[in-house]
Amino acid sequence: MQSKLSDIELIEQTLAGNQAAYADLIKRHQRFVFTLAMRFSKNREDAEEIAQDCFIKAYRSLSSFQRQSKFSTWLYSIVYTTAMTFLRKKRVDTDSIDDESTYIQLENHSGFDVNSAENKSRSYYLNQAIAQLLPDDAAIISLFYMGEQSLEEIGQALNMEANTVKVKLFRARQRLKEKLERNLKGEVKELI
Amino acid sequence: MNTIEEKLWNYIDGTCSEDEQKAIGLLIAQDEVYRRKYEELLKLNQEFSQMELDEPPMAFTYNVMEGIRAEHARQPLKAAINPRIIKAIAGFFILTILFFVIYMLSSVHVSTANVSVHVPDAVKLPDLKGFFNIRLLEGFIFFDVVLGLFLFDAWLRRRGASKQYKGVQ
Repeated sequence: MQSKLSDIELIEQTLAGNQAAYADLIKRHQRFVFTLAMRFSKNREDAEEIAQDCFIKAYRSLSSFQRQSKFSTWLYSIVYTTAMTFLRKKRVDTDSIDDESTYIQLENHSGFDVNSAENKSRSYYLNQAIAQLLPDDAAIISLFYMGEQSLEEIGQALNMEANTVKVKLFRARQRLKEKLERNLKGEVKELI
Repeated sequence: MNTIEEKLWNYIDGTCSEDEQKAIGLLIAQDEVYRRKYEELLKLNQEFSQMELDEPPMAFTYNVMEGIRAEHARQPLKAAINPRIIKAIAGFFILTILFFVIYMLSSVHVSTANVSVHVPDAVKLPDLKGFFNIRLLEGFIFFDVVLGLFLFDAWLRRRGASKQYKGVQ
């Protein structure tokens, strides 16, 4: 069962030496942090490593958290930098990161059984389409819709201007829409 | 110039000014193209909002907490030692030094034929010779040796743990 205390209260308890409070903070944010890490790494094992590293880094620098922004925004900025460092360490060069086609043939990580026709719902195709997006596009969409972050907060997390985020969000949504339509059309053709 | 889609997304997100919001609302109500596109994007927006989060492994929290504990264990010796312990050890050595200084002074026999120190009758100097004996001295040396061995053992353990961690890394 998760704690009813606010993030700030849990942080204060953690700083006072209560490690169980930090475990509660992890439980509260782990699903989104893991999802965000998945958006960057496109792989469950790597996402787990990034997410774990991110929570350890956050613990280490918890005393430097200024509380001027939401804890989640601060945490997501750590996910972003950790993921970028991780990708660089894995020697994925910039060209391949930016190459959209790299992500088209990616395996499905949504947890659905690909062969099961029952599971091929709209949500399945949406997950498939988001996995085909560039990491930045997928992260912005996830932060906006699943992380409930404002454009300014996404800007803080990704180290960008709010206006840049607005433009990137618009383009990311367009690309997601196109991919979703293409995947659905492909499926209809398969059925015919 | 913004495209229809861009205007409509701004309208849906509520990121445009109040005047723009009104103008786009009017276009949606009057223009069939705007209305259709708006409905399409609204549906898409709803779908995006219902995206599901990925589930991390069951032991995720445990693994993170273990990582944090491991990090604590590999703290440098300087940071890990409690300053109170340092102060206590320093205090002990100061007391030991004072003890030896007083013992040494009490053992020195000063004989001055011409010097006479007048001590008031009310002041009685303690007889330190009776206080210091060989057993007390042995006790102090034994305590020093035990403390030294204890600290040496603690240092070896920390060094061993640090090497083990580096090996895992």
